[in-house]
Amino acid sequence: MLSPERLALPDYEYLAQRHVLTYMEDAVCQLLENKEDISQYGVARFFTEYFNSVCQGTHILFREFSFIQATPHNRASFLRAFWKCFRTVGKNGDLLTMREYHCLLQLLCPDFPLELTQKAARIVLMDDAMDCLMSFSDFLFAFQIQFYYSEFLESVAAIYQDLLAGKNPNTVIVPTSSSGQHRQRPPLGEASVLEGVEASLFSQCLENLCDRHKYSCPPPALVKEVLSNVQRLTFYGFLVALSKHHGINQALGALPDKGDLMHDPAMDEELERL
Amino acid sequence: MAAVEKRRPAVAPAASFADSSRPAASRAAATAESEEDFLRQVGVTEMLRAALLKVLEARPEEPIAFLAHYFENMGLRSPANGGAGEPPGQLLLQQQRLGRALWHLRLAHHSQRTAFNNNVSVAYECLSASGRKKKPGLDGRTYSELLKRICRDGEAPEEVVAPLLHKIQCRDHEAVPLDVFRAGMLTCFVLLEFVARASALYQLLEDPALAVADRRVGQAVLDTLEGALQASDGGAVPARYLEAGSRLGPDSLALAMDRALVARRPSSPMTREEFLEKAAALFIAKVKPVA
Repeated sequence: MLSPERLALPDYEYLAQRHVLTYMEDAVCQLLENKEDISQYGVARFFTEYFNSVCQGTHILFREFSFIQATPHNRASFLRAFWKCFRTVGKNGDLLTMREYHCLLQLLCPDFPLELTQKAARIVLMDDAMDCLMSFSDFLFAFQIQFYYSEFLESVAAIYQDLLAGKNPNTVIVPTSSSGQHRQRPPLGEASVLEGVEASLFSQCLENLCDRHKYSCPPPALVKEVLSNVQRLTFYGFLVALSKHHGINQALGALPDKGDLMHDPAMDEELERL
Repeated sequence: MAAVEKRRPAVAPAASFADSSRPAASRAAATAESEEDFLRQVGVTEMLRAALLKVLEARPEEPIAFLAHYFENMGLRSPANGGAGEPPGQLLLQQQRLGRALWHLRLAHHSQRTAFNNNVSVAYECLSASGRKKKPGLDGRTYSELLKRICRDGEAPEEVVAPLLHKIQCRDHEAVPLDVFRAGMLTCFVLLEFVARASALYQLLEDPALAVADRRVGQAVLDTLEGALQASDGGAVPARYLEAGSRLGPDSLALAMDRALVARRPSSPMTREEFLEKAAALFIAKVKPVA
Protein backbone atom coordinates (compact mmCIF):
# COMPACT_ATOMS: atom_id res chain seq x y z
CA MET A 1 0.00 0.00 0.00
CA LEU A 2 1.08 3.55 -0.54
CA SER A 3 2.68 5.43 2.30
CA PRO A 4 1.80 9.07 1.76
CA GLU A 5 4.93 10.40 3.48
CA ARG A 6 7.06 8.85 0.76
CA LEU A 7 5.26 10.88 -1.90
CA ALA A 8 5.56 14.16 -0.05
CA LEU A 9 9.31 14.05 0.50
CA PRO A 10 11.48 16.36 -1.55
CA ASP A 11 13.29 14.52 -4.36
CA TYR A 12 16.68 14.42 -2.74
CA GLU A 13 15.42 13.11 0.59
CA TYR A 14 13.39 10.36 -1.07
CA LEU A 15 16.43 9.22 -3.03
CA ALA A 16 18.69 9.47 0.01
CA GLN A 17 16.43 7.30 2.12
CA ARG A 18 17.04 4.29 -0.07
CA HIS A 19 20.55 5.31 -1.12
CA VAL A 20 19.45 5.26 -4.77
CA LEU A 21 22.28 7.55 -5.90
CA THR A 22 24.88 5.48 -4.05
CA TYR A 23 23.85 2.40 -6.02
CA MET A 24 23.59 4.27 -9.33
CA GLU A 25 27.09 5.67 -8.92
CA ASP A 26 28.44 2.28 -7.93
CA ALA A 27 26.70 0.70 -10.93
CA VAL A 28 28.52 3.10 -13.26
CA CYS A 29 31.86 2.40 -11.54
CA GLN A 30 31.35 -1.32 -11.94
CA LEU A 31 30.40 -0.76 -15.57
CA LEU A 32 33.60 1.19 -16.19
CA GLU A 33 35.68 -1.52 -14.60
CA ASN A 34 34.13 -4.07 -16.94
CA LYS A 35 33.79 -1.89 -20.00
CA GLU A 36 35.77 -4.13 -22.33
CA ASP A 37 33.09 -6.79 -22.05
CA ILE A 38 30.07 -4.62 -22.63
CA SER A 39 28.50 -3.87 -26.00
CA GLN A 40 25.91 -1.16 -26.50
CA TYR A 41 22.92 -3.34 -25.77
CA GLY A 42 24.76 -5.04 -22.95
CA VAL A 43 24.58 -1.90 -20.84
CA ALA A 44 20.92 -2.32 -20.02
CA ARG A 45 21.53 -5.97 -19.25
CA PHE A 46 24.48 -5.03 -17.07
CA PHE A 47 22.40 -2.60 -15.06
CA THR A 48 19.61 -5.17 -14.77
CA GLU A 49 22.01 -7.68 -13.30
CA TYR A 50 23.55 -5.09 -11.06
CA PHE A 51 20.30 -3.89 -9.53
CA ASN A 52 18.96 -7.44 -9.25
CA SER A 53 22.06 -8.43 -7.35
CA VAL A 54 21.55 -5.45 -5.05
CA CYS A 55 18.01 -6.62 -4.34
CA GLN A 56 19.17 -10.16 -3.65
CA GLY A 57 22.03 -9.05 -1.43
CA THR A 58 24.82 -10.67 -3.43
CA HIS A 59 26.25 -7.37 -4.59
CA ILE A 60 28.59 -7.06 -1.61
CA LEU A 61 30.59 -10.21 -2.28
CA PHE A 62 34.32 -9.55 -2.70
CA ARG A 63 33.80 -5.81 -2.71
CA GLU A 64 35.90 -3.27 -0.84
CA PHE A 65 35.08 -2.42 2.77
CA SER A 66 34.11 1.17 2.00
CA PHE A 67 31.29 -0.12 -0.21
CA ILE A 68 30.17 -2.84 2.16
CA GLN A 69 29.61 -0.43 4.97
CA ALA A 70 28.13 2.30 2.78
CA THR A 71 24.44 1.56 3.37
CA PRO A 72 22.39 -0.35 5.95
CA HIS A 73 21.22 -2.72 3.23
CA ASN A 74 24.83 -3.45 2.30
CA ARG A 75 25.72 -4.19 5.89
CA ALA A 76 22.76 -6.48 6.38
CA SER A 77 23.52 -8.26 3.08
CA PHE A 78 27.11 -8.78 4.16
CA LEU A 79 26.06 -10.26 7.48
CA ARG A 80 23.68 -12.58 5.72
CA ALA A 81 26.34 -13.65 3.21
CA PHE A 82 28.83 -14.33 6.01
CA TRP A 83 26.29 -16.48 7.81
CA LYS A 84 25.35 -18.43 4.69
CA CYS A 85 28.91 -19.03 3.62
CA PHE A 86 30.29 -20.13 6.95
CA ARG A 87 27.45 -21.64 8.92
CA THR A 88 29.00 -25.07 8.45
CA VAL A 89 31.68 -23.87 10.83
CA GLY A 90 28.99 -23.62 13.43
CA LYS A 91 27.44 -26.92 12.46
CA ASN A 92 30.61 -28.78 13.20
CA GLY A 93 30.79 -27.13 16.57
CA ASP A 94 34.23 -25.68 15.83
CA LEU A 95 35.50 -22.91 18.05
CA LEU A 96 37.72 -20.35 16.38
CA THR A 97 39.94 -17.51 17.51
CA MET A 98 39.39 -13.90 16.58
CA ARG A 99 42.14 -14.08 13.96
CA GLU A 100 40.56 -17.12 12.36
CA TYR A 101 37.19 -15.37 12.08
CA HIS A 102 38.98 -12.43 10.60
CA CYS A 103 40.45 -14.67 7.91
CA LEU A 104 36.96 -15.83 7.05
CA LEU A 105 35.77 -12.24 6.81
CA GLN A 106 38.66 -11.39 4.53
CA LEU A 107 37.61 -14.15 2.17
CA LEU A 108 34.46 -12.17 1.50
CA CYS A 109 36.01 -8.72 1.82
CA PRO A 110 39.77 -8.52 1.22
CA ASP A 111 40.29 -5.24 3.03
CA PHE A 112 38.04 -5.82 6.01
CA PRO A 113 39.61 -3.97 8.96
CA LEU A 114 41.03 -6.04 11.80
CA GLU A 115 39.96 -3.41 14.30
CA LEU A 116 36.30 -4.19 13.70
CA THR A 117 36.76 -7.92 14.18
CA GLN A 118 38.64 -7.19 17.38
CA LYS A 119 35.82 -5.04 18.68
CA ALA A 120 33.33 -7.77 17.91
CA ALA A 121 35.45 -10.33 19.72
CA ARG A 122 35.65 -8.03 22.74
CA ILE A 123 31.91 -8.21 23.06
CA VAL A 124 31.94 -12.00 23.22
CA LEU A 125 34.94 -12.23 25.48
CA MET A 126 33.91 -9.26 27.62
CA ASP A 127 37.19 -7.50 26.93
CA ASP A 128 39.07 -10.44 28.40
CA ALA A 129 41.82 -12.63 26.95
CA MET A 130 41.59 -11.84 23.27
CA ASP A 131 42.98 -15.09 21.95
CA CYS A 132 40.24 -17.19 23.48
CA LEU A 133 38.07 -19.43 21.35
CA MET A 134 34.55 -18.40 20.36
CA SER A 135 31.58 -20.31 18.99
CA PHE A 136 30.21 -19.34 15.58
CA SER A 137 26.88 -18.13 16.87
CA ASP A 138 28.41 -16.08 19.70
CA PHE A 139 30.77 -14.38 17.30
CA LEU A 140 28.17 -13.88 14.59
CA PHE A 141 25.62 -12.10 16.77
CA ALA A 142 28.25 -9.95 18.46
CA PHE A 143 29.71 -9.12 15.06
CA GLN A 144 26.28 -8.16 13.80
CA ILE A 145 25.83 -5.56 16.54
CA GLN A 146 29.34 -4.21 16.17
CA PHE A 147 29.24 -3.96 12.38
CA TYR A 148 25.67 -2.86 11.73
CA TYR A 149 25.55 -0.30 14.54
CA SER A 150 29.20 0.86 14.48
CA GLU A 151 28.48 4.56 14.71
CA PHE A 152 25.83 4.10 17.37
CA LEU A 153 28.20 2.05 19.52
CA GLU A 154 30.89 4.69 19.29
CA SER A 155 28.51 7.29 20.63
CA VAL A 156 27.33 4.90 23.33
CA ALA A 157 30.94 4.31 24.39
CA ALA A 158 31.49 8.06 24.70
CA ILE A 159 28.33 8.44 26.78
CA TYR A 160 29.38 5.56 28.98
CA GLN A 161 32.77 7.13 29.62
CA ASP A 162 31.11 10.41 30.54
CA LEU A 163 28.78 8.72 32.98
CA LEU A 164 31.66 6.82 34.56
CA ALA A 165 33.51 10.07 35.04
CA GLY A 166 30.50 11.47 36.84
CA LYS A 167 29.47 13.84 34.08
CA ASN A 168 25.79 13.76 33.32
CA PRO A 169 25.22 14.70 29.67
CA ASN A 170 21.56 15.42 30.34
CA THR A 171 21.84 18.43 32.63
CA VAL A 172 22.94 20.83 29.92
CA ILE A 173 19.80 20.66 27.83
CA VAL A 174 16.63 22.00 29.46
CA PRO A 175 16.59 25.81 29.93
CA THR A 176 13.31 26.09 31.81
CA SER A 177 13.96 24.34 35.11
CA SER A 178 13.49 27.21 37.56
CA SER A 179 12.78 25.02 40.55
CA GLY A 180 16.07 23.27 39.79
CA GLN A 181 14.90 19.72 40.28
CA HIS A 182 18.02 17.83 39.32
CA ARG A 183 18.55 14.15 39.87
CA GLN A 184 20.54 13.46 42.98
CA ARG A 185 23.83 12.03 41.82
CA PRO A 186 25.64 9.86 44.33
CA PRO A 187 28.83 11.51 45.68
CA LEU A 188 31.85 10.58 43.55
CA GLY A 189 33.38 8.27 46.13
CA GLU A 190 30.34 6.02 46.11
CA ALA A 191 30.12 5.87 42.31
CA SER A 192 33.65 4.60 41.93
CA VAL A 193 33.02 1.63 44.19
CA LEU A 194 30.07 0.29 42.19
CA GLU A 195 30.76 -1.26 38.78
CA GLY A 196 29.42 0.25 35.60
CA VAL A 197 26.71 2.90 35.40
CA GLU A 198 23.15 3.30 36.58
CA ALA A 199 20.83 1.69 34.06
CA SER A 200 17.99 4.19 34.17
CA LEU A 201 20.26 7.20 33.63
CA PHE A 202 22.07 5.39 30.88
CA SER A 203 18.72 4.57 29.30
CA GLN A 204 17.71 8.20 29.28
CA CYS A 205 20.95 9.26 27.62
CA LEU A 206 20.55 6.63 24.93
CA GLU A 207 16.98 7.74 24.27
CA ASN A 208 18.27 11.25 23.58
CA LEU A 209 20.99 9.81 21.38
CA CYS A 210 18.51 7.89 19.25
CA ASP A 211 16.34 10.98 18.87
CA ARG A 212 19.20 13.22 17.85
CA HIS A 213 20.93 11.06 15.29
CA LYS A 214 19.85 9.80 11.92
CA TYR A 215 22.13 6.80 11.56
CA SER A 216 20.84 3.37 12.42
CA CYS A 217 20.03 2.73 16.04
CA PRO A 218 18.45 -0.39 17.44
CA PRO A 219 14.72 0.18 18.03
CA PRO A 220 14.59 2.56 21.03
CA ALA A 221 11.80 0.58 22.72
CA LEU A 222 13.95 -2.55 22.71
CA VAL A 223 16.99 -0.72 24.02
CA LYS A 224 14.84 0.54 26.87
CA GLU A 225 13.69 -3.02 27.49
CA VAL A 226 17.26 -4.24 27.73
CA LEU A 227 18.09 -1.54 30.25
CA SER A 228 14.99 -1.94 32.36
CA ASN A 229 15.95 -5.40 33.57
CA VAL A 230 18.96 -4.32 35.60
CA GLN A 231 20.00 -1.70 38.12
CA ARG A 232 23.52 -1.16 36.89
CA LEU A 233 25.49 -2.42 33.93
CA THR A 234 28.87 -2.20 32.24
CA PHE A 235 29.50 -1.21 28.64
CA TYR A 236 30.26 -4.72 27.48
CA GLY A 237 27.42 -6.07 29.56
CA PHE A 238 25.15 -3.79 27.56
CA LEU A 239 26.59 -4.89 24.22
CA VAL A 240 26.27 -8.55 25.12
CA ALA A 241 22.63 -7.97 26.03
CA LEU A 242 22.07 -6.25 22.69
CA SER A 243 23.68 -9.07 20.76
CA LYS A 244 21.59 -11.72 22.48
CA HIS A 245 18.27 -9.90 22.13
CA HIS A 246 15.92 -11.75 19.77
CA GLY A 247 13.79 -8.71 19.04
CA ILE A 248 16.73 -6.62 17.94
CA ASN A 249 17.96 -9.41 15.71
CA GLN A 250 14.55 -9.72 14.12
CA ALA A 251 14.19 -5.98 13.65
CA LEU A 252 17.51 -5.93 11.83
CA GLY A 253 16.28 -8.75 9.60
CA ALA A 254 19.62 -10.10 8.39
CA LEU A 255 20.05 -13.25 10.44
CA PRO A 256 17.58 -15.90 11.60
CA ASP A 257 16.95 -16.64 15.27
CA LYS A 258 19.81 -18.29 17.09
CA GLY A 259 17.98 -21.61 17.09
CA ASP A 260 17.62 -21.57 13.30
CA LEU A 261 21.19 -20.60 12.57
CA MET A 262 22.18 -24.09 11.43
CA HIS A 263 18.86 -24.81 9.74
CA ASP A 264 19.59 -25.45 6.12
CA PRO A 265 17.07 -27.80 4.51
CA ALA A 266 18.46 -27.29 1.00
CA MET A 267 21.95 -28.31 2.07
CA ASP A 268 20.62 -31.25 4.08
CA GLU A 269 18.77 -32.49 1.00
CA GLU A 270 21.96 -32.31 -1.03
CA LEU A 271 23.86 -34.22 1.59
CA GLU A 272 21.16 -36.89 1.74
CA ARG A 273 21.60 -37.52 -1.95
CA LEU A 274 25.31 -38.17 -1.64
CA MET B 1 4.37 15.35 -10.81
CA ALA B 2 5.16 16.79 -14.24
CA ALA B 3 6.00 20.09 -12.57
CA VAL B 4 8.62 18.32 -10.49
CA GLU B 5 10.40 17.18 -13.61
CA LYS B 6 10.54 20.73 -14.97
CA ARG B 7 11.82 22.19 -11.73
CA ARG B 8 14.70 19.75 -11.35
CA PRO B 9 18.06 21.26 -12.33
CA ALA B 10 19.72 19.41 -15.18
CA VAL B 11 21.52 16.43 -13.74
CA ALA B 12 25.09 16.03 -14.92
CA PRO B 13 25.90 12.51 -13.83
CA ALA B 14 29.01 12.20 -15.98
CA ALA B 15 30.83 14.91 -14.10
CA SER B 16 29.82 13.74 -10.65
CA PHE B 17 30.73 10.11 -11.36
CA ALA B 18 34.21 11.08 -12.41
CA ASP B 19 34.69 13.20 -9.29
CA SER B 20 33.01 11.63 -6.32
CA SER B 21 33.15 7.90 -6.90
CA ARG B 22 36.62 7.49 -8.29
CA PRO B 23 38.25 4.41 -6.74
CA ALA B 24 41.21 4.80 -4.40
CA ALA B 25 43.81 4.08 -7.06
CA SER B 26 44.70 7.32 -8.81
CA ARG B 27 43.93 7.51 -12.50
CA ALA B 28 45.62 9.66 -15.11
CA ALA B 29 43.50 12.51 -16.44
CA ALA B 30 43.53 10.87 -19.87
CA THR B 31 41.85 7.74 -18.53
CA ALA B 32 39.17 9.82 -16.86
CA GLU B 33 38.54 11.58 -20.16
CA SER B 34 38.17 8.32 -22.02
CA GLU B 35 35.82 7.04 -19.33
CA GLU B 36 33.53 10.01 -19.76
CA ASP B 37 33.66 9.52 -23.51
CA PHE B 38 32.80 5.88 -23.11
CA LEU B 39 29.83 6.68 -20.91
CA ARG B 40 28.52 9.26 -23.30
CA GLN B 41 29.09 7.08 -26.35
CA VAL B 42 27.24 4.13 -24.90
CA GLY B 43 24.44 6.40 -23.76
CA VAL B 44 24.81 5.65 -20.06
CA THR B 45 24.39 9.25 -19.02
CA GLU B 46 21.08 9.63 -20.82
CA MET B 47 19.94 6.19 -19.71
CA LEU B 48 20.51 6.91 -16.06
CA ARG B 49 19.01 10.36 -16.26
CA ALA B 50 15.83 8.89 -17.75
CA ALA B 51 15.79 6.13 -15.14
CA LEU B 52 16.20 8.59 -12.30
CA LEU B 53 13.38 10.78 -13.57
CA LYS B 54 11.16 7.73 -13.79
CA VAL B 55 12.00 6.77 -10.21
CA LEU B 56 11.16 10.27 -9.00
CA GLU B 57 7.90 10.27 -10.89
CA ALA B 58 6.73 6.89 -9.65
CA ARG B 59 8.26 7.09 -6.17
CA PRO B 60 8.11 3.32 -5.68
CA GLU B 61 8.45 1.75 -2.25
CA GLU B 62 11.44 -0.25 -3.46
CA PRO B 63 13.41 1.96 -5.86
CA ILE B 64 16.22 -0.57 -6.36
CA ALA B 65 13.85 -3.36 -7.43
CA PHE B 66 12.09 -0.82 -9.63
CA LEU B 67 15.39 0.03 -11.33
CA ALA B 68 16.13 -3.66 -11.87
CA HIS B 69 12.80 -4.11 -13.67
CA TYR B 70 13.23 -0.89 -15.56
CA PHE B 71 16.53 -1.96 -17.10
CA GLU B 72 15.27 -5.47 -17.69
CA ASN B 73 12.44 -4.05 -19.73
CA MET B 74 14.82 -1.79 -21.60
CA GLY B 75 16.96 -4.78 -22.46
CA LEU B 76 13.92 -6.55 -23.91
CA ARG B 77 13.15 -3.59 -26.08
CA SER B 78 16.50 -3.62 -27.86
CA PRO B 79 16.30 -5.03 -31.38
CA ALA B 80 19.59 -6.94 -31.21
CA ASN B 81 18.45 -9.76 -28.96
CA GLY B 82 21.23 -12.11 -29.93
CA GLY B 83 21.85 -11.03 -33.51
CA ALA B 84 20.75 -12.42 -36.84
CA GLY B 85 17.74 -14.65 -37.19
CA GLU B 86 14.05 -14.55 -38.03
CA PRO B 87 12.26 -11.53 -36.71
CA PRO B 88 9.85 -12.60 -33.94
CA GLY B 89 6.40 -13.72 -35.13
CA GLN B 90 3.25 -11.69 -34.85
CA LEU B 91 2.08 -13.46 -31.72
CA LEU B 92 5.35 -12.87 -29.90
CA LEU B 93 5.34 -9.21 -30.87
CA GLN B 94 1.81 -8.90 -29.56
CA GLN B 95 2.79 -10.51 -26.28
CA GLN B 96 5.79 -8.22 -25.99
CA ARG B 97 3.62 -5.18 -26.62
CA LEU B 98 1.14 -6.29 -23.99
CA GLY B 99 3.94 -6.93 -21.52
CA ARG B 100 5.42 -3.53 -22.11
CA ALA B 101 2.08 -1.78 -21.84
CA LEU B 102 1.41 -3.59 -18.58
CA TRP B 103 4.77 -2.54 -17.26
CA HIS B 104 4.05 1.10 -18.04
CA LEU B 105 0.63 0.93 -16.42
CA ARG B 106 2.07 -0.42 -13.21
CA LEU B 107 4.70 2.27 -12.77
CA ALA B 108 2.50 4.62 -10.81
CA HIS B 109 -0.39 4.01 -8.47
CA HIS B 110 -3.76 5.07 -9.89
CA SER B 111 -4.13 7.73 -7.23
CA GLN B 112 -1.05 9.53 -8.55
CA ARG B 113 -3.27 10.93 -11.24
CA THR B 114 -0.78 12.85 -13.40
CA ALA B 115 1.82 10.12 -13.41
CA PHE B 116 -0.83 7.46 -14.01
CA ASN B 117 -2.33 9.33 -16.95
CA ASN B 118 1.11 9.84 -18.49
CA ASN B 119 1.76 6.13 -18.23
CA VAL B 120 -1.65 5.30 -19.70
CA SER B 121 -0.83 7.45 -22.73
CA VAL B 122 2.51 5.72 -23.20
CA ALA B 123 0.88 2.30 -22.88
CA TYR B 124 -1.77 3.31 -25.39
CA GLU B 125 0.87 4.40 -27.90
CA CYS B 126 2.77 1.20 -27.33
CA LEU B 127 -0.29 -0.90 -28.12
CA SER B 128 -1.37 1.28 -31.02
CA ALA B 129 1.93 1.03 -32.86
CA SER B 130 1.44 -0.43 -36.29
CA GLY B 131 3.07 -3.75 -37.07
CA ARG B 132 3.51 -5.65 -40.29
CA LYS B 133 -0.01 -7.03 -40.35
CA LYS B 134 -1.44 -4.53 -37.98
CA LYS B 135 -3.05 -1.20 -38.71
CA PRO B 136 -2.30 1.66 -36.35
CA GLY B 137 -4.66 2.11 -33.41
CA LEU B 138 -5.87 -0.01 -30.55
CA ASP B 139 -8.43 -2.69 -31.37
CA GLY B 140 -11.08 -4.03 -29.02
CA ARG B 141 -9.52 -7.48 -28.93
CA THR B 142 -6.15 -6.30 -27.64
CA TYR B 143 -7.93 -4.04 -25.19
CA SER B 144 -9.97 -6.94 -23.82
CA GLU B 145 -6.89 -9.11 -23.53
CA LEU B 146 -5.11 -6.39 -21.60
CA LEU B 147 -8.03 -6.00 -19.20
CA LYS B 148 -8.08 -9.75 -18.57
CA ARG B 149 -4.32 -9.80 -17.99
CA ILE B 150 -4.50 -6.97 -15.49
CA CYS B 151 -7.26 -8.66 -13.54
CA ARG B 152 -5.49 -12.00 -13.59
CA ASP B 153 -2.20 -10.53 -12.40
CA GLY B 154 -4.10 -8.57 -9.76
CA GLU B 155 -5.25 -11.90 -8.34
CA ALA B 156 -8.89 -11.05 -8.51
CA PRO B 157 -11.09 -14.13 -8.98
CA GLU B 158 -12.56 -14.40 -12.47
CA GLU B 159 -16.19 -14.48 -11.36
CA VAL B 160 -15.62 -11.27 -9.46
CA VAL B 161 -14.26 -9.25 -12.38
CA ALA B 162 -16.29 -10.83 -15.18
CA PRO B 163 -19.23 -8.42 -14.79
CA LEU B 164 -16.86 -5.49 -15.06
CA LEU B 165 -15.23 -6.79 -18.20
CA HIS B 166 -18.66 -7.35 -19.63
CA LYS B 167 -19.52 -3.72 -19.06
CA ILE B 168 -16.42 -2.02 -20.33
CA GLN B 169 -15.18 -4.34 -23.06
CA CYS B 170 -15.33 -3.26 -26.66
CA ARG B 171 -16.10 -5.40 -29.66
CA ASP B 172 -13.09 -7.17 -31.14
CA HIS B 173 -12.73 -5.09 -34.27
CA GLU B 174 -13.86 -1.85 -32.78
CA ALA B 175 -11.29 0.93 -32.49
CA VAL B 176 -10.72 2.00 -28.91
CA PRO B 177 -10.06 5.72 -28.44
CA LEU B 178 -7.67 6.98 -25.78
CA ASP B 179 -10.27 8.30 -23.36
CA VAL B 180 -12.16 5.01 -23.31
CA PHE B 181 -8.85 3.24 -22.78
CA ARG B 182 -7.90 5.56 -19.92
CA ALA B 183 -11.27 5.21 -18.21
CA GLY B 184 -11.11 1.45 -18.58
CA MET B 185 -7.63 1.20 -17.12
CA LEU B 186 -8.49 3.41 -14.18
CA THR B 187 -11.66 1.47 -13.43
CA CYS B 188 -9.79 -1.80 -13.60
CA PHE B 189 -7.06 -0.79 -11.20
CA VAL B 190 -9.46 0.81 -8.79
CA LEU B 191 -11.60 -2.34 -8.81
CA LEU B 192 -8.56 -4.48 -8.06
CA GLU B 193 -7.68 -2.32 -5.09
CA PHE B 194 -11.31 -2.39 -3.98
CA VAL B 195 -11.36 -6.18 -4.13
CA ALA B 196 -8.10 -6.35 -2.21
CA ARG B 197 -9.54 -4.19 0.54
CA ALA B 198 -12.77 -6.17 0.57
CA SER B 199 -10.69 -9.28 0.97
CA ALA B 200 -8.86 -7.77 3.91
CA LEU B 201 -12.21 -6.79 5.37
CA TYR B 202 -13.47 -10.33 4.98
CA GLN B 203 -10.39 -11.57 6.80
CA LEU B 204 -11.50 -9.56 9.81
CA LEU B 205 -14.98 -11.04 9.72
CA GLU B 206 -13.78 -14.54 9.12
CA ASP B 207 -13.86 -17.13 11.86
CA PRO B 208 -10.32 -18.52 11.79
CA ALA B 209 -11.40 -22.02 12.72
CA LEU B 210 -14.09 -22.32 10.06
CA ALA B 211 -12.55 -20.11 7.36
CA VAL B 212 -15.97 -18.59 6.70
CA ALA B 213 -17.80 -15.55 7.98
CA ASP B 214 -21.19 -15.38 9.57
CA ARG B 215 -23.68 -14.54 6.83
CA ARG B 216 -25.57 -12.04 8.95
CA VAL B 217 -22.44 -10.07 9.72
CA GLY B 218 -21.15 -10.29 6.17
CA GLN B 219 -24.44 -9.10 4.78
CA ALA B 220 -24.60 -6.26 7.30
CA VAL B 221 -21.21 -5.04 6.13
CA LEU B 222 -22.24 -5.27 2.49
CA ASP B 223 -25.47 -3.42 3.16
CA THR B 224 -23.58 -0.66 4.95
CA LEU B 225 -21.17 -0.45 2.06
CA GLU B 226 -24.03 -0.21 -0.40
CA GLY B 227 -25.67 2.50 1.67
CA ALA B 228 -22.44 4.45 1.74
CA LEU B 229 -22.00 4.16 -2.00
CA GLN B 230 -25.54 5.37 -2.59
CA ALA B 231 -24.98 8.27 -0.27
CA SER B 232 -22.09 9.39 -2.45
CA ASP B 233 -24.28 9.47 -5.53
CA GLY B 234 -25.43 12.70 -7.08
CA GLY B 235 -22.19 14.32 -8.06
CA ALA B 236 -19.03 15.28 -6.27
CA VAL B 237 -20.64 17.20 -3.44
CA PRO B 238 -18.31 17.14 -0.43
CA ALA B 239 -21.16 16.75 2.04
CA ARG B 240 -22.18 13.52 0.35
CA TYR B 241 -18.71 12.09 0.75
CA LEU B 242 -18.74 13.02 4.39
CA GLU B 243 -22.00 11.20 4.81
CA ALA B 244 -20.70 8.15 3.00
CA GLY B 245 -17.57 8.22 5.08
CA SER B 246 -19.48 8.41 8.31
CA ARG B 247 -21.60 5.45 7.33
CA LEU B 248 -18.45 3.45 6.87
CA GLY B 249 -16.94 4.67 10.10
CA PRO B 250 -16.19 2.10 12.79
CA ASP B 251 -19.16 3.20 14.91
CA SER B 252 -21.83 2.83 12.24
CA LEU B 253 -20.34 -0.35 10.95
CA ALA B 254 -20.07 -1.83 14.43
CA LEU B 255 -23.69 -0.93 15.13
CA ALA B 256 -24.82 -2.55 11.88
CA MET B 257 -22.90 -5.70 12.67
CA ASP B 258 -24.25 -5.76 16.21
CA ARG B 259 -27.83 -5.37 15.05
CA ALA B 260 -27.36 -8.24 12.59
CA LEU B 261 -26.17 -10.59 15.27
CA VAL B 262 -28.95 -9.63 17.65
CA ALA B 263 -31.70 -10.15 15.07
CA ARG B 264 -33.33 -13.49 15.19
CA ARG B 265 -32.41 -14.75 11.76
CA PRO B 266 -30.50 -18.05 11.84
CA SER B 267 -26.80 -17.97 11.15
CA SER B 268 -25.23 -19.56 8.08
CA PRO B 269 -21.78 -19.30 6.54
CA MET B 270 -20.70 -16.88 3.83
CA THR B 271 -17.62 -17.77 1.85
CA ARG B 272 -14.91 -15.35 0.80
CA GLU B 273 -15.83 -15.77 -2.88
CA GLU B 274 -19.44 -14.85 -2.24
CA PHE B 275 -18.45 -11.86 -0.16
CA LEU B 276 -16.04 -10.60 -2.81
CA GLU B 277 -18.51 -11.16 -5.63
CA LYS B 278 -21.19 -9.18 -3.85
CA ALA B 279 -18.80 -6.41 -2.84
CA ALA B 280 -17.44 -6.12 -6.36
CA ALA B 281 -20.98 -6.07 -7.71
CA LEU B 282 -21.69 -2.96 -5.63
CA PHE B 283 -18.72 -1.25 -7.23
CA ILE B 284 -19.43 -2.46 -10.74
CA ALA B 285 -23.01 -1.24 -10.54
CA LYS B 286 -21.56 2.27 -10.47
CA VAL B 287 -19.52 1.78 -13.61
CA LYS B 288 -20.96 3.25 -16.78
CA PRO B 289 -21.05 0.74 -19.63
CA VAL B 290 -19.18 1.58 -22.81
CA ALA B 291 -21.52 3.12 -25.36
